[in-house]
Amino acid sequence: MFNGIKLESPLFYFQTSFNKSAAADELFNAEAECGLVVKEAPLSAQLILRGDGSDTLFCAAIAKTLGVVLPLAPGTYHQQGNTSIYWLGPSEWLIIEVGGQAQKIEIALRKALKGHIAIVDVSGGQTSINLRGAGVATVLKKSTVYDFEAWDLATPISGCAAQTTFAKASALISNRSDGSYNLVIRRSFADYIALWLLDAGEEFGCRIEQG
Amino acid sequence: MSQNRVASHTGAAIDFTFNGKAYQGIAGDTLASALLANGVDVVGRSFKYARPRGIFGHGAEEPNAIVQLGSGAGTVPNLKATQIELYQGLQASSVNGWPSVNFDLMGLIGAFGRLMPPGFYYKTFMYPKKLWMTYEHFIRKAAGLGATPVEADPDSYDKLNQHCDVLVAGAGPAGLVAAREAARTGARVIIADEQSQFGGSLLASKQQVDGIAAPLWVASLVAELMAYSNVQMLPRSTVFGYYDHNFLTILERRTDHLGAVSTCGTRQRLHRVRAAQVVLATGAFERPLVFAHNDIPGVMLASSVSTYVNRYGVAPGNKLVLFTTNDNAYQTALDWQGTGREVVAVIDSRRNPCGEIVAAVAAMGIEVIAGHGLIEAQGGKRVKRALVAPINEAGTQVTGAVRRLDCDLIACSGGWSPAVHLSSHTGAKPQWDENIVAFRPGNSKQQERSAGACRGTFDLQGCLSEGASAGADAALLSGYGDGSPQFPQIAVEEYIEEPQQALFLVPHTKPTSRAPSQFVDFQLDVSASGIELAVREGFESVEHIKRYTALGFGTDQGKLGNINGMAILANALDQTIAETGTTIFRPAYTPTTFGAIAGRDVNQLFDPERYTAVHRWHVEQGAKFEDVGQWKRPWYFPQQGETMQQAVDREGLAVRNSLGILDASTLGKIDIQGPDVAEFITRIYTNSYLKLAPGKCRYGVMLKEDGMIFDDGVCACLGDNHYLMFTTTGGAADVLAWLELWQQTEWPELQVYFTSVTDHWTTATVSGPNARRVMAKVCTDIDLSNEAFAFMDWRDGTVAGVKARVFRISFTGELSYEVNVPAHYGRHIWETLIAAGEEFNITPYGTETMHVLRAEKGFIIVGQDTDGSMTPADMNMDWVVGKNKAFSFIGKRSLQRSDTVRANRKQLVGLKTLNAKEVLPEGAQVVFDAEQKIPMAMQGHVTSSYFSASLGHSIALAVVKGGHDRLGQVVYCPLADGRSIAAEIVSSVFYDPKGERQHV
Repeated sequence: MFNGIKLESPLFYFQTSFNKSAAADELFNAEAECGLVVKEAPLSAQLILRGDGSDTLFCAAIAKTLGVVLPLAPGTYHQQGNTSIYWLGPSEWLIIEVGGQAQKIEIALRKALKGHIAIVDVSGGQTSINLRGAGVATVLKKSTVYDFEAWDLATPISGCAAQTTFAKASALISNRSDGSYNLVIRRSFADYIALWLLDAGEEFGCRIEQG
Repeated sequence: MSQNRVASHTGAAIDFTFNGKAYQGIAGDTLASALLANGVDVVGRSFKYARPRGIFGHGAEEPNAIVQLGSGAGTVPNLKATQIELYQGLQASSVNGWPSVNFDLMGLIGAFGRLMPPGFYYKTFMYPKKLWMTYEHFIRKAAGLGATPVEADPDSYDKLNQHCDVLVAGAGPAGLVAAREAARTGARVIIADEQSQFGGSLLASKQQVDGIAAPLWVASLVAELMAYSNVQMLPRSTVFGYYDHNFLTILERRTDHLGAVSTCGTRQRLHRVRAAQVVLATGAFERPLVFAHNDIPGVMLASSVSTYVNRYGVAPGNKLVLFTTNDNAYQTALDWQGTGREVVAVIDSRRNPCGEIVAAVAAMGIEVIAGHGLIEAQGGKRVKRALVAPINEAGTQVTGAVRRLDCDLIACSGGWSPAVHLSSHTGAKPQWDENIVAFRPGNSKQQERSAGACRGTFDLQGCLSEGASAGADAALLSGYGDGSPQFPQIAVEEYIEEPQQALFLVPHTKPTSRAPSQFVDFQLDVSASGIELAVREGFESVEHIKRYTALGFGTDQGKLGNINGMAILANALDQTIAETGTTIFRPAYTPTTFGAIAGRDVNQLFDPERYTAVHRWHVEQGAKFEDVGQWKRPWYFPQQGETMQQAVDREGLAVRNSLGILDASTLGKIDIQGPDVAEFITRIYTNSYLKLAPGKCRYGVMLKEDGMIFDDGVCACLGDNHYLMFTTTGGAADVLAWLELWQQTEWPELQVYFTSVTDHWTTATVSGPNARRVMAKVCTDIDLSNEAFAFMDWRDGTVAGVKARVFRISFTGELSYEVNVPAHYGRHIWETLIAAGEEFNITPYGTETMHVLRAEKGFIIVGQDTDGSMTPADMNMDWVVGKNKAFSFIGKRSLQRSDTVRANRKQLVGLKTLNAKEVLPEGAQVVFDAEQKIPMAMQGHVTSSYFSASLGHSIALAVVKGGHDRLGQVVYCPLADGRSIAAEIVSSVFYDPKGERQHV
């Protein structure tokens, strides 16, 4: 009866957005990359995890269930394959599994964890976007007051992350080992942030694509 | 070749117009140098006296050449011609001078100036008060402050947030070497300079540095800096503000030099820099001397004459008289001689100047007249002669016969004033130093140090050494290098200078009050006699004098006049300059455009617009939107030709009679988990949740400590230790912060975790008698019967093929189901419900209809019917307050305060207008006696008011003093137009008072 259910990620309506300025035309020929490429990783599983990071059993259960060691250092994330865990606060983490199912993860975790914990599916409320290209550093400077140059470089299994203001909204920003940045943004602010990025990237040429 | 261009100086021709007349300059010119090259003497008229004024300086200090650039939307007022790079087609005009700078009506009237002594605002135009607006209009027009465009700014501006280890302000000799020393340590360096080229004073210098010509040395150093990846170089960038925590702002002019309206990219960029360490290398301004008619076009700063000659190849005249108190300015005589033009004489106020450069000038055969002052310039629109007389050693009196020297250019120098502005922004108080006859920067209040001329070090060797040390020191303190400069000493060629004389006001044969005007502040026509008059009138503080005379109030902010003004004031008060002190410099150092401060936060990016997952559908249906916080919510959905009232009537009747659908996704939603959730929220809400079973919902009100309603909403028990709290749309963030505050600071022993899930869920509310029928079409795994799924229950289930939570909550008073699905499915669930509801004429409704429907039911909206001063009892909601809870709840004690229990508090009631068609304005005041004389006794006000299509008459909610005991009383709402609307106080529940419809 309800075949072909249509899912819409937060940047669904920006999938084909393309913004190439006159100045960028001179800088980049047709084959070259835009200076800012925004790529959404839509519909990934995203869950908030609360619990006691000083509880070794808690940490061990997370590592065993998700295959990723819980990051305990402020401002960091860990990653294995499609799953990453971001430190958000002393007792708060964000789990993202690209292509994963939040419900499955929640059931597995609830089975593994004891005591006072919370697991909340927030997949519908946020999305991950990747920012790459020659203009990224400048676009970040336009958008946030954070000093990303002070970060240690990311490796394929770990990196730095910060929740900070992004233009007049907020984002969880992290660095990747390929030099690009990931942003986790809230769904209701996604249109504003997409417009902001298209504007901020205009001088380099900018496009938004879906992964 | 323009008349004043030095023959050897060439470049590509550039056409421009000034005051409508066409001229030609060459590449590299500023507007000022191009005007001087073309022999344009008069560039503006002065503020009060409308005297003709010419170009006086060559940079940010310029007081006279204030122009309006361009026309139409892109026009920019009040720019200094000395700072405008010439471009093809530039159009500029004087901001002052009407009808023209050369025939100035105001100048002809002349006597007008006599009406404007110091303090003229205060003295002349204060009375009669009602005429002030007229006066002000006239004064502003006369003052010529330029014109702002009336059209929207077509240019684009943006902001960059920068971080660096060492910020160097100024790229003159000291700044450049500071940047190099810091760069080689690996520190992140930003170096900014307001000019198009780095080099500062060296660009116009004939000196040799490190064995090569100064401009070449600069070029090699700039190339060296460019090679560092850790150095960011910002030309055309003014560091204009220095704030707490080493936060500085830089205005970068990216396209101003290319044309009137930028066609590519950002016109100006505001850099917001957080620097670990700062090196201030902002240089110094040469100080003019205050002599009679020192404002006639053709009087200039000595360094400006040299700069025009050496850097721009422009000799602004033929016969030069140089007037100086120091050795340094003698260079101008040498530079002028080098153009092949005549140096008539050098006037030196000192008795016996004997420096090396004095000898060099004398050796060229130039007459040096020592122990003299240039006491008056003569001429109309151009200097014709200089009056020169011997003066006493103190420089206070003319002691002999006046000599006339014919000339058309007077260059003057009273020494140099360090540009201590940025240091002063930090709160450092400038210190007077007798030895250099200038204010030096005060003790650092931030992580900064000054180097070079801005620190009072005027010799090139000293500037380079200080710059090197400052750069190395700043790098060390930000964690780089060892603090020792690589190039502590750089070989330069320069004359050793003898001390200068401290001379500010040059004596005249007549006393100051009688002498021709001796100008201190050119832009605002403040004269020496004006300052002395202010002192005679009793002003003593430098800050008061500044405001009384307007000294330093112009767009140049007194960069030239301030020190002379302080000195004249000190003399009039018979005290030292150190005792007199200086005024405080504040940001911005030079005028800054509003566009840059706004950046990209304009138009659609001014404020975030938050959308629900169904937003596009609403747009496609032609919804009108209402701002609720940052959310855009559908307000109403007008059909072809419908007015708002017609649309709202139709939507409301559809809900009452069949079926409506509302996008309620914006409601705040907080997921709460932990063993103590029930206890925790029972302390937050006024009622109890301890016995709420899974599958059940309850409406609650939360109070602040003062007992006043703060938010309301439904809370659902999802399972053991798991609740979902709904908040108002606007209150979501505040409620979450409130919960965290109490958990973290007061009740850390309660184990609860909060997570915002507002964005995760799309909420589609179907409401109306046919709600169950439509739900039955899309949901088969929930028993929808009233017995199995009652009002204020919730169920898990599958709706339209999607896992959903369905709540039987109603804000309309009708049978309602709130369907919640993860937002990715938002549009799917919405469109499925719309299709399924077609047979029931399902009608999307917006916030306006929602407001009408809930008002018919007397449901309050926190923030509309309450205003932070209403208790539950005031709202007639005592039923929601749990009196017998074991633990207190927030605000409980305040509900027993004498003020909260007194009679006659404003209480929520319904109002029914006697004329059923008349709708009260929201906010209208309620009185009991319509005939009472003003001031009337205000008894309350209308909080919500609508026309109810279901009831066929208008309805209103109001808060009225003692209202709960006044049912049936007729009250009045007097309106601004003189009418008074009569209404009867009724129950606040207008529709279905027993609440049967939502329970079916």
